[in-house]
Amino acid sequence: MEKAHHVGMAELVVVSSPEMLMTLGLGSCIGLVLYDQTAKIAGMVHIMLPDSRGAGAKAAEKPGKFADTAVPALINAVCSKGALRSRLKAKLAGGSQMFALPGAETDFLAVGSRNAKETIDLLKKMGIPLVNSDVGGNKGRTVEFSTVTWMLTVKVLGKGKTEI
Amino acid sequence: MDMESFSNMQLDAMREVGNIGAGNAATALSVMLSRAVDMDVPKAELVSIYELAEYYGDPLAPVSAVFVRSEGEFTCSLIFFQDEEDAQSLVDLLISHQMSGMVLEDIPPEMRDSALTEVGNIILSSFLNAINVLMGGTHSISVPGVAHDMMGSILQVIASIFGQTGEYALIVDTTLKVGDIEKNVSGKVVMLPDPGSLEILFRKLQVL
Repeated sequence: MEKAHHVGMAELVVVSSPEMLMTLGLGSCIGLVLYDQTAKIAGMVHIMLPDSRGAGAKAAEKPGKFADTAVPALINAVCSKGALRSRLKAKLAGGSQMFALPGAETDFLAVGSRNAKETIDLLKKMGIPLVNSDVGGNKGRTVEFSTVTWMLTVKVLGKGKTEI
Repeated sequence: MDMESFSNMQLDAMREVGNIGAGNAATALSVMLSRAVDMDVPKAELVSIYELAEYYGDPLAPVSAVFVRSEGEFTCSLIFFQDEEDAQSLVDLLISHQMSGMVLEDIPPEMRDSALTEVGNIILSSFLNAINVLMGGTHSISVPGVAHDMMGSILQVIASIFGQTGEYALIVDTTLKVGDIEKNVSGKVVMLPDPGSLEILFRKLQVL
């Protein structure tokens, strides 16, 4: 088994084949992978929030934190390591809502679905094909991306694993 | 409110808030179970949101968590969370005390979950009631939400709340421990004041 690089909250990591990428316990956050199978390069970013409006200059320090800054930052990062923009493909998982509180003012608890929507919209806008995704629901996910099979393994507590 | 620089006096004040809230929560749990409940000295810490997932240990550990929101003048999130095993032991204790005669194995999982939500709700409401007395004013508490999941995923909820406005979370927490039994049954009560409402709290406590 190859060494797996852990991608913490708001982090962005690029590896080359056969290294692995992983992130533990995604809740409302998104694990987005962009990869180029020909150049054998993949990058993962751990997105926390949908948009950087209101974050000011701080957003530039942690581009991985917000979907609107994370997607372009990840494209640049994989391309600077040799991936070709036109060959990039995407897979993503996460964006669940861990708690539901009926009747309460809880827009912030639905941040997961906004994270997913914003990320998917951005990929579309940038012309990167989204090969597969596993988003929403109310369960946490642990994800692992293989740069050998190019599959994203999603593990859910008590439900086993699926490959997308 | 700058979330990166609190004075020692302000953190002390938060610990005291935690102490008053958790004291009331421990009493409520003790009454529910008719058992002694011990309580640790509360902590108040500023934690980087990027390190939150590992703050309480293994982010993959299965935990059960009850979450409520306090609404009103002072808004905050409150979480009661336990190792999954402890949560199930707590339900056993509660059911054997409150519904003597029931065979534990006969209790369906939905009912266990409902009992757990209610324990969490009572603990967190008791915590908040004590804060209300301290603060004055009226506060309402939301319906509780419950999750059984990886600790890291649950703590992400907190990270995303604080992440909207900054890089740090103010965490006030205490461990409650059920006494007089061989098995360790404990849980953490965590209060997370909204960044926007800290000023109100500090003003009332005269530490601003």
